[in-house]
Amino acid sequence: MPRIFWVTCPHCAKRFYCHYEDLRHNSFDLRCPYCEREFPQEASPRIEE
Amino acid sequence: MSLRGFLDALERDHPDQIIHVTEPVAPAHFDVTAVLKHLELRRRYPLVVFDRPLDLRGEPSALPIATNIYATRERCALALGLRAEDAALGLSLDYARREALRVAPVVVSDAEAPVKQVVRIDDDVDLRELPVVRHHDMDAGPYIDMASVMRDPDSGAYNVAFLRNMYKGPRKLGLHMSPRHNWQIVRKHEARDEPTPVAIVVSHHPTFYIGALNVAPFGVDDYSLIGGMFERPLRLVASTTWGADFFIPADADLVLEGHVLPNVREVEGPFGEFPGTYGPQRVRWVVELTALNRRADAIYQDIFVGHPDNWVMGSFPKEGSLYNRIKGVVPTVKAVHLPTSAVGRFHCYISIDKRVDGESKQAALIALGNCDFVKHVVVVDSDIDVYREEEVLWAIATRVQADEDVDIITNVKGSTLDPSQHDDIMGAKMIIDATRPVRRPFEARIEVPADAMERTKLERLIPPDQLGRIG
Repeated sequence: MPRIFWVTCPHCAKRFYCHYEDLRHNSFDLRCPYCEREFPQEASPRIEE
Repeated sequence: MSLRGFLDALERDHPDQIIHVTEPVAPAHFDVTAVLKHLELRRRYPLVVFDRPLDLRGEPSALPIATNIYATRERCALALGLRAEDAALGLSLDYARREALRVAPVVVSDAEAPVKQVVRIDDDVDLRELPVVRHHDMDAGPYIDMASVMRDPDSGAYNVAFLRNMYKGPRKLGLHMSPRHNWQIVRKHEARDEPTPVAIVVSHHPTFYIGALNVAPFGVDDYSLIGGMFERPLRLVASTTWGADFFIPADADLVLEGHVLPNVREVEGPFGEFPGTYGPQRVRWVVELTALNRRADAIYQDIFVGHPDNWVMGSFPKEGSLYNRIKGVVPTVKAVHLPTSAVGRFHCYISIDKRVDGESKQAALIALGNCDFVKHVVVVDSDIDVYREEEVLWAIATRVQADEDVDIITNVKGSTLDPSQHDDIMGAKMIIDATRPVRRPFEARIEVPADAMERTKLERLIPPDQLGRIG
């Protein structure tokens, strides 16, 4: 399994996870699968890696 | 060669294999997968037709949904024209036989192609008119999870593979690919800064998809290979977008055409994958749709990924080729099975008539060497039915001493989707030799005499209503 990090959505507070190499250190906004809103990962209240 | 023909035959000849959900359901809000999960909790795996699904706009869809088609080996055997009774080793070996066949496709005119009965182009394409299914809680959206066709720009060979497509807009999909054949085709186009033509075959006869599971090397034309699976030519028709430069299956129910945009990436996922865990959100490709082709009475098809519908498909296409390779070295091999309890990929049960110690490990190493999905191999004697998992576990319980009969091999290529694997590429493999030793006496398995079994057939001794009650 590729390395992942869990992220908490700043809008709905639900958690999901992302591919570390693809997304942890680049400029793509993340997209919450629950509320479908996009946000920069810096806006997340909690990132677990 | 049509899905509807297959469903009609199933209704007629095997009515126990198919049920209809006649009430309206909302596939984009998990209703379809929730029904399948309810059935799974009852250990029931029928093909399910949802007669009145809603589309992505929440309105009644013109297309019913057929799903769970591949959830039993018996139905996969029937799809290939075999008998349900042939669903064990017979299915695996027949798949291996057909996989070696090549039957060139034939091209028909638009008028002869049912898939061209309804054609939408460019801005008239609207995925919201389809009953696209959202499968699991953390999925990023509704997904089309059937097979896509791409064409190698160098050889011209068509490649057909299951790829997940995330709904992103009326004409826009997010595409995930692993570094396999279609990925190579897209990379070639991207190196030339060209879009990659892609045809998403959303619905067709099940044999088309069973054929798409082949493990032929890159460059083999999958349309010819799928023709081998049907044992007759696959009928093709010129695509709506690229004409005779790219053919699509003429007898499909629904085919979307589009371009993988060169060097464009967006976030895609998470998506519930075959191991029963979510693949993470990633940066992936984008498809812009150019055309929709469908039968007037098209049926939308979906696979319940991460469940038996997906696991059975992963197993029997590999079992036959593994059996044939093992037989070349261990001629007494009796059966090879990749059980659904291990997602149809990670565990491999092999039965042999062992003549000398060491043959078990030979057989196991061939399985590990030929299929990187396989993690754990259990080799049993031929008195164990590898399709009855409780027998395999009994053999492990009674014929294995862990310090003598278990081998672990480290740093072997594994599966990136195995959630327990730390490394992106490599993992550990395990061989359990659950066969009896040849070189020392070993206790015999208890058996009720065969003649007693024969003269006490339950149908002869117990009234049908009572027998029916116990299932």
